[in-house]
Amino acid sequence: MFETISNLIAAFLTLCIFSFLYKDNPFYKFAEALFIGVSMGYAIPLVYENAFLPFVYQPIFLQGKLIILIPSLMGVLYIFRFSRNLSWLSRYPIVFGMGIVGMGVPMSMHSSVLVQMRSAMLPLDNINTALIFIGTVTILLYFFFSKEHKGVYGKFTNVGVWYMMIGFGASFGYTVMARISLLIGRIQFLLGDVLGLIK
Amino acid sequence: MSNIVPFFEKMQALDRRYIYLVVALAIIIPLLIPFNSKTYVTEPTANVYKMIDSYAGRSDRAILLSFSHDASTMAELTPMEVAILRHCFQRKVKVFTLCFMPAASPLMDYALNIAKEDYDVQDGIDYCNFGYKPYGLFLPILLGMGDDIAEIVETDAQGRKISNLPIMTDITNYNEMNLVVDFAASSAVYSWIVYARARYGVNVAAGITAVMAADNYPYLQTGQLVGMLSGLKGAAEYEKLVDVFATHKNPDGTIGRSYSKEILQESWIKLSDVDKRVYKTARIGMNAQTVAHVMIIVFIILGNIGFFLSKKKKEQEMM
Repeated sequence: MFETISNLIAAFLTLCIFSFLYKDNPFYKFAEALFIGVSMGYAIPLVYENAFLPFVYQPIFLQGKLIILIPSLMGVLYIFRFSRNLSWLSRYPIVFGMGIVGMGVPMSMHSSVLVQMRSAMLPLDNINTALIFIGTVTILLYFFFSKEHKGVYGKFTNVGVWYMMIGFGASFGYTVMARISLLIGRIQFLLGDVLGLIK
Repeated sequence: MSNIVPFFEKMQALDRRYIYLVVALAIIIPLLIPFNSKTYVTEPTANVYKMIDSYAGRSDRAILLSFSHDASTMAELTPMEVAILRHCFQRKVKVFTLCFMPAASPLMDYALNIAKEDYDVQDGIDYCNFGYKPYGLFLPILLGMGDDIAEIVETDAQGRKISNLPIMTDITNYNEMNLVVDFAASSAVYSWIVYARARYGVNVAAGITAVMAADNYPYLQTGQLVGMLSGLKGAAEYEKLVDVFATHKNPDGTIGRSYSKEILQESWIKLSDVDKRVYKTARIGMNAQTVAHVMIIVFIILGNIGFFLSKKKKEQEMM
């Protein structure tokens, strides 16, 4: 019984959202507002229960770990973002956060640059490594703007443009597949779970 | 030629709502009248399967499934989550689940509940849901698990102390929980590669939406990802692998057989032979996906023909 009612509500809200494809209407606006409200309403108690209680309230008030007051107060400074005069206080926790991001720089360099470079330096003993080598070099040449893209140099950069176009095409193809998949998911729900037409 | 051009001009001015209608029909009809489109398993998906399968029955190996998405991408990611969990439950692979997004918490329960329905598995013994952890703890937990999982995660979704759970026997850190599969609709996989892979050498695999696939290929090519499931296609491939190998009924009554490329190439699973719809969701979806792709290709070709014919007509009029 509960499953039937929840499926019917979900089906109604799905159709409300789909109705936007015809034109904007109050049903779509209602479903959109409800989604935002429910998401926030769900997240707030979850964060309160899983973050505030175990990491702020319990250590400070039940276990007496007063050191926790320092990061807690630093977190509170974020609220001053909404004050025109005191918004500068919110920069302190942001600065602290930026420091943590800095910790990831060496590791990012390793994963995104050094390892990628190493794999581009393999012996050109098969077609794949040769293609990767040509693509890497020609695209890097394309983004070298100190020389005009003319003559022989221009021909090399044109190869780079072709590589990028193929990359964008692959990316777009995947995006189409993803969007169609989401639509398939909803229609599977409507036809299968609600109407029971898919076996 | 003069008769064709007005047709294409009309097509180019067609109300977009007719296109929506055609797209909807291209999806609804294959779902209602299913056919067995063949699923070809790609190497990145097979690699994830093989690695998980190599942990079968071992008490000193486990995998971590990280859920980094919300309900908006369930259509692509839930089928792969269910397929991997089924594989783990069938082959007795210890599995942990974890999320850092509030909206992902019910999705973990949803996938676990579907997958465990047909298996005699127990929470805390065969699998453990670490539950939702605040995003502020993402880095401390990710790095801390490299030293001691029980110490940094502390409690599971039910509030039980992790160190007391039977599943933690022989499991201390990434040396044992040696594979992380991140299901993401964002660049969350990247964090696992940068911090967990680079620092602790843990194997990382990605279960991602198709939109993110192209971005992750460089990491796959360099071996920083051991494998990758890309969108609904990846999910359909994994569903097939589970049916062909993990849940295969042998003539002697036993269930399961080892991965073999030859068997995979010869295997043909009819969708009507798979009992539960939740075990073939992605493959049913790929039928509709195939028809929709053909339709889009036809639209692109028609649009281009119309564009060039109209251009030619304009040039002739100007001359």
